[in-house]
Amino acid sequence: MPEPGSESRPGPIPERIVLVGYGPVGARFVEELLPVVRAGLATLTVVGAETADAYNRVLIADYAVGHAGREALEVTDTAAARATGVSILTGTSVTAISRTRSTVTLGTGAELAWDRLVLATGARANVPTLAGVARVRRNLMMPPQDAATLDSNEATLPRGVVALRDLDDARTVRGAVRAGGRIVVLGAGVLGMELALAAARGGAEVCVVHHGEIPMNRNLDRGGGTVLARAARAAGVTMVNHSRAESVLFRLDDDAVQRFDALICADGKQIGGDLLVLSCGTGARTELAHLAGLPVSTGILVDGSLRSWADPRIHAIGDCAHVAAPPAPGAGAARPTGGPTGLIGPGWRQADRLAADFTARLTAAGSGGAPAPNEFAAGRAGDLLAPATAVVMLKAEGVDVVAAGDTAADPWDSEPGSHADGCATAPVSVSQWADPEHGRYVKMVTRSGILTGFVCVGMPRTGAELTLLFERGSELPADRSVLLRFDGPDDVPGAGGDAFARETTVCWCNGVSVGAITDAAAAGNATVTCIGAATRAGTGCGGCKTRIGELLDRFPVPTPAPAP
Amino acid sequence: MTETTATHCPYCALQCAMALTQTEAATPGRGARVALAGRAFPTNRGGLCKKGWTAAELINSPDRILEPMLRQPDGSFAPAAWDMALNLIAERLAGGRAEHGADSVGVFGGGGLTNEKAYQLGKFARLALGTSRIDYNGRFCMSSAAAAGNRAFGLDRGLPFPVEDLDAAATILILGSNPAQTMPPFIGHLDGARAAGGLIVVDPRRTATARLTENGAGSHVQPTPGSDLVLLLGLINIVIAEKLVDQDYIDSRTIGFDELRRSVGQWWPERVQAQTGVPTQQLRDLARRLASGRGTYILTGRGVEQHADGTDTATAAINLSLILGLVGTDHSGYGTLTGQGNGQGGREHGQKCDQLPGYRKITDPAARAHVAGVWEVHPDSIPGAGLPAVELLASMGESGGIRTLLVHGANVVVSAPNADRVRAGLAALDFLVVCDFFFSETAALADVVLPVTQWAEEDGTMTSLEGRVIRRRTAVAAPAGVRSELWIFQELARRLDAPSRYSTDPAEVFDELARASAGGPADYSGLSYGLLDEGQAAYWPYPAGSTGTPRLFRDRFQHADGRARMFPVRARVADAPAQQRGILTLITGRLLEHYQSGAQTRRVPELALARPEARLQLHPATAAQLGVADGGWVDVTNSRGVVRCRAEVTLSIRHDTVFLPFHFPGEQSANRLTDDVTDPVSGMPEFKRTTVRVRALAGEERGADA
Repeated sequence: MPEPGSESRPGPIPERIVLVGYGPVGARFVEELLPVVRAGLATLTVVGAETADAYNRVLIADYAVGHAGREALEVTDTAAARATGVSILTGTSVTAISRTRSTVTLGTGAELAWDRLVLATGARANVPTLAGVARVRRNLMMPPQDAATLDSNEATLPRGVVALRDLDDARTVRGAVRAGGRIVVLGAGVLGMELALAAARGGAEVCVVHHGEIPMNRNLDRGGGTVLARAARAAGVTMVNHSRAESVLFRLDDDAVQRFDALICADGKQIGGDLLVLSCGTGARTELAHLAGLPVSTGILVDGSLRSWADPRIHAIGDCAHVAAPPAPGAGAARPTGGPTGLIGPGWRQADRLAADFTARLTAAGSGGAPAPNEFAAGRAGDLLAPATAVVMLKAEGVDVVAAGDTAADPWDSEPGSHADGCATAPVSVSQWADPEHGRYVKMVTRSGILTGFVCVGMPRTGAELTLLFERGSELPADRSVLLRFDGPDDVPGAGGDAFARETTVCWCNGVSVGAITDAAAAGNATVTCIGAATRAGTGCGGCKTRIGELLDRFPVPTPAPAP
Repeated sequence: MTETTATHCPYCALQCAMALTQTEAATPGRGARVALAGRAFPTNRGGLCKKGWTAAELINSPDRILEPMLRQPDGSFAPAAWDMALNLIAERLAGGRAEHGADSVGVFGGGGLTNEKAYQLGKFARLALGTSRIDYNGRFCMSSAAAAGNRAFGLDRGLPFPVEDLDAAATILILGSNPAQTMPPFIGHLDGARAAGGLIVVDPRRTATARLTENGAGSHVQPTPGSDLVLLLGLINIVIAEKLVDQDYIDSRTIGFDELRRSVGQWWPERVQAQTGVPTQQLRDLARRLASGRGTYILTGRGVEQHADGTDTATAAINLSLILGLVGTDHSGYGTLTGQGNGQGGREHGQKCDQLPGYRKITDPAARAHVAGVWEVHPDSIPGAGLPAVELLASMGESGGIRTLLVHGANVVVSAPNADRVRAGLAALDFLVVCDFFFSETAALADVVLPVTQWAEEDGTMTSLEGRVIRRRTAVAAPAGVRSELWIFQELARRLDAPSRYSTDPAEVFDELARASAGGPADYSGLSYGLLDEGQAAYWPYPAGSTGTPRLFRDRFQHADGRARMFPVRARVADAPAQQRGILTLITGRLLEHYQSGAQTRRVPELALARPEARLQLHPATAAQLGVADGGWVDVTNSRGVVRCRAEVTLSIRHDTVFLPFHFPGEQSANRLTDDVTDPVSGMPEFKRTTVRVRALAGEERGADA
């Protein structure tokens, strides 16, 4: 990224940038943009609805169960940003965007003018249809006015029911975990599983209820999901699958207010508990954009450069953004593919990318334009439009699950074809390793040898390596089993070998092998000192003298010395 | 009885103690023969490695240059008398300065020069040549760790504690260093940690050092190249999240913790795993081990420092050490393992482009005034800051760049990044002078080569990796035609009518150096040859009237308020290229048998025989994919250059990484491939992460021996 020129230009008017949303993605964008703000090339105003500074929602389950302190959620230095001149308004909502006047209207009634508008409004937790729980009705044409009730529209959840999204929710969960209560988690997506595993580790009794066959069914295949479910059970979490939740039973607290008592499923099952945590996915906050006439699908539609399809001055990043290529002029209005991932990695990448684009544009006069293209193609992670680039990792100590890409294929789906390397229509190939008894499962999906999807459960090092390979769009070794052995006892190169093999090094300081020492012994050098004089073995740090002694014991000096 | 001389090894910064005995005196045509033995000393305890044992062979080497050599019109070299050679050099130096300005003359020094030579070289450049354009090969070595140490502690001494302190540690984390092959006798100091199961080695290769962790001695962490900074930020994150910090230490001895904490908030373990390839459990175990409080040292080496973000990576290692409360205690610490023999002293006395003796800043008016006083010149006659090594070399042949270059103790054609560009730059010079023992690859391109004394033929001081000043002593006389650089500086200074004095007596130069360093961060003013020869273990700072400083930072750090600075650093997530069809990440490093550019060790028959050529290490799975056989020929290419060598197929390297030693010249020269992009703070080049394409060569394409 080019540094902004430090010399003052002849009176440039700083560009007015307004950012709506101060979550972790918004905060990242602010940090990356500080140099141009410092250089006076732009002014930046941030409007955030939550009263707290940006915090790391990714760790909210850890916070909720008490594994992480509030401080651990801090991801940005708001004071430093303010000191640089960024205006940050927290606890403030934006109620309207005017594209014709280039302003936003705040919940306070005030207006802010912008030259560039960045939307990082994030997502809200979905509240499923459950008899007994008021469903929040949202009017796309009427964004909430009050920051405090941004997502609830004043339809608050009953006592004992919580959708884990913000710090207040987390504190509610924390109370239940501390009290050693029974927690029912509805939904077995990655966040639901993380909360369940963390709460179980924190001492709570936890039950996960979900309607599919396997947990994390958006990310895992049947094998991976099944092994995860077993691991979760082993960690003390009750897993209830194939169960569609229909309604909620309440009991009355002492103050005669209803409190969650049990979840009732379509098959009549009744699952009691002290707290119901709804973990049923999230929905992008798109009302503002929709109201302003910007195209919206599962998120605010932006192109590969994160510009709104309809207005190049308006951008969206993070959980509210749906990155997709706009249809060609005249093409039919097909439903755009993809959508927000709900993961922080892609959101931060978008924030970095947009800030870099802004910086390059604002400093273009001073720099020589874009950096020279790398001679080697960048990995998959660099392409914001590439499908399914997000790697999903379960954050749970002791349960290792990582997956990415499309993993639906089966090893026997297609015949190995005769497509050329790199052929885009080559069929996918699948390699698989399943050892459910020991909690291990790996599936690797490749196209022309290049990793396009994988699931890895219970094999941490393999999962880590597959992640790197996937993110880079790399080729897998032809012998896929190499990747499985990282977690095996034989992955200690050299250590498994014969300590008395001739080529094994004994003295590292002097590079002396077993063979050289036994040869010297055969020539009549019968003591460690004699061996040292003959070969220099043991004359460095001296750490190998014991081993030399062992060798001499094992290969006694022959008398007389053998003929050569 | 023949006389035995106590001195130290010529090679690495461990400076193993040796005893030399002359067995045959030098003749006009050949250096002396010397018998060599290890000598008891706290660092090497009498032991030596293969390089050390064979070091004396170079004194008597038939390859030695024994008289000044002048390039002839036909391109060959012919011997010349010293007077003639020095007159020619002085004339060209004066002429170049008159025609193109003082800054058209460059000086490139080395981390192998004694303190006296390094000091005198800096003085000669500033006063006799009037140039600011001096830097040295330590820029490729210690600059990142030095910059990080200076900004965190206010002082840079590689190990701020004696090496023996490591013996009692229960946990030692070594990041990006392979001392089992680069300074082997050092590994004896790891035995305590190994016995406690606490040696942790971070390296993309399963090096000899990494293998010391086997059998319960510790663990090997094998991240993908270039991800060290993320790894360290992740460890800091875990230490903070799991409340393993030493809060009292943080409160009383540091500033910047809150900013640091916020800066690592984004590096939770799973995200670190995704960037580094190191599993979360291993990260957690490592963080918990480091915090276990039974004596913990964190040591960094070139593997993590030789990057365009090397200063930030070393800073992250320091931050980790600080939040654990390790630095400046008597049981724990942070250090960087210096590489070259005088890599420590060489960075203290004025060879660096921005520095004056005593580790003073050349831009500091008080520092300039003090040094000018010792030199008896006006402060304004000392030039300002010059250019760091990569920029200095890149300016060769460029408009406004250097046109004349003096090289001392360096072989830039082999050791500098983007070596083909360096070679082209040298060819574009008006005049190149190289001082060396041999026709190194750089000397072979010179207009004049001056033969200089070797380590056993000279007196001086070296400052070892632990900041201990030690004596190098003359054991044998040099062959008749060979001169000390101190003499060369004196002769040239006289011919150039330079101000100040240029003594040829190392003891006198040392005394002057000591005075020049007085009051500076690296203060030698209480030291003298007399005191060193009494056997005093002298660790700087050693101001007059003191007894030195074996352990730094016990009570305070060197910033004005006495506190260490925790600089929050950020990792740039670089998008690694897709590793398809032979595209891999190249890392470089050293072998047991060779030292630096190999100009010396490749001339020791025993070492050359053991390791005659560069071999590209790659993983068997990768080799199978590319059709590369063990011992088969490969070429390794990118836009900067081509290396052609044999392959070594080994399980001891990551499948996405290949390794080349950088000791070899010509078509095996690893630095033809490395990028000369540099760290914005330290000027360190990106040696340790280079994207290359590896291809197996068919029979008819094979290299030189086919």
